Amino acid sequence: MIIVDDVYKRYRSDHGMGKWVLQGVSFTIPPKLNVGLVGRNGAGKSTLLRLIGGIDTPTRGLVERRCRVSWPMGFGGGLAASLTGRQNAKFVCRIHGHEEDLQDRLRYIEDFAELGESFDEPIKTYSSGMKSRLQFGLSLAFDFDVYISDEVTATGDAAFKDKAAAAFQALSDRAGLIMVSHGEGTLKEFCKAGIWLHEGRAYWFDSINDALTEYKKNLRR
Amino acid sequence: MRSSSLIAWTVWKALFLREAVARLSAGRAAWLWLLLEPVVHLVFIIVLFGFVLQRVVSGIDYSLFIATGILGFILARNTATRSKEAINANDTLFTYRQVFPVDTVLVRAALEGLLFLISALCLVTGLGLLGYEVFPHDFLRVLLAFAALWMAGIGLGLTFSVASQLIPESGKVSGMLFGPLYFLSGIMYPPSTIPPAYQSWFLLNPFVHGIETVRTGFFPQYHTIPGVSMGYLLAFAMVTICLGLALHVRFATRLVTK
Repeated sequence: MIIVDDVYKRYRSDHGMGKWVLQGVSFTIPPKLNVGLVGRNGAGKSTLLRLIGGIDTPTRGLVERRCRVSWPMGFGGGLAASLTGRQNAKFVCRIHGHEEDLQDRLRYIEDFAELGESFDEPIKTYSSGMKSRLQFGLSLAFDFDVYISDEVTATGDAAFKDKAAAAFQALSDRAGLIMVSHGEGTLKEFCKAGIWLHEGRAYWFDSINDALTEYKKNLRR
Repeated sequence: MRSSSLIAWTVWKALFLREAVARLSAGRAAWLWLLLEPVVHLVFIIVLFGFVLQRVVSGIDYSLFIATGILGFILARNTATRSKEAINANDTLFTYRQVFPVDTVLVRAALEGLLFLISALCLVTGLGLLGYEVFPHDFLRVLLAFAALWMAGIGLGLTFSVASQLIPESGKVSGMLFGPLYFLSGIMYPPSTIPPAYQSWFLLNPFVHGIETVRTGFFPQYHTIPGVSMGYLLAFAMVTICLGLALHVRFATRLVTK
């Protein structure tokens, strides 16, 4: 379960404090529920994911994680460009305390990402789709209760999306997913519930379809 | 659930391996350049000051005099500058909650110390094979002085790493610092050649105390100037380490959020 209680967030800019990105966001994500986050560009979706992922702290309010939450995967974050896919994977296994079964995890990541020989090439030679494959494989190699994905499926090809969706189907009895995506199909495929971020506030919908409807209605206005 | 100290330990181990791989696989034969850097430096200074300018230090082999100075200075400088850049170089890793900026700084300092140890041993072995008397008469004293110089480097690295993130200009200033300090640390000349009236100013530089202590431990007949004390260098190291750690605690979230 993840509890977000009255969270405010603004960033420090070069000219003092910036404007409020989130203003009084509150919701509770129950266990094993897949939630999609929708909103315009700049509505604070990635910020919210970073707060939930615990790599940033709210300016005011509280984020409580009563479960194991993955790091937010997305846009090449967490991968060192000069090191190979395998070296990056080893690093992530080690910091998650999997020194003993390192080889098993590596094999899983290698199989899932299907990068072939590129797995032993530096990340800087990867396309964005290849990076998402690796990132997805990396986080699925560990038993988290909630996985956080920031547009990581957007750059994958159709085969990879199907594979990722199937992996989450298989996990759905023990883990949940929080994802940001601009792909309506992706959201409907992966998520049940939805959160619509609008003008610093969050609106909870039990069905992702309702969230998308509300989001699109507002875009047109 | 893993305990906090176990998590920190595994993060350090993983970061250390990662840094070592990145450092030693950067370009062709990167390890060779790591070994060559102090050697080339040393040879240049010895040729310039020893052979061309005919400098001598009474009772001591000039090459070894230079070698002790350069090794001491390089250790402190490289530790400080490499660890200062650790946060920028590793900022993608803060995606993982268990990795803190201070971890990357400390791990870099540790790696720098180990690499220094290896290259210094190679250099000393090489000089020994060339017939120089490379066994220090007071080994522990030399070791302690090097350790203190390394700690001063860690302290500066910790402090500057935060300062240069909060105020980018301070990073430039701290980068310029080591240029003048190179000439003010008594690497190429014995501090006793400095006029006594200026010696108290000269001794404000903590590196002088470390380098001179290395030399008194190395050469039994070496006379340093009064006022050289390990206590000063150790105090400097402790103060900067505590200050740096405090800054890292205080600005932990600011460093991760850009």
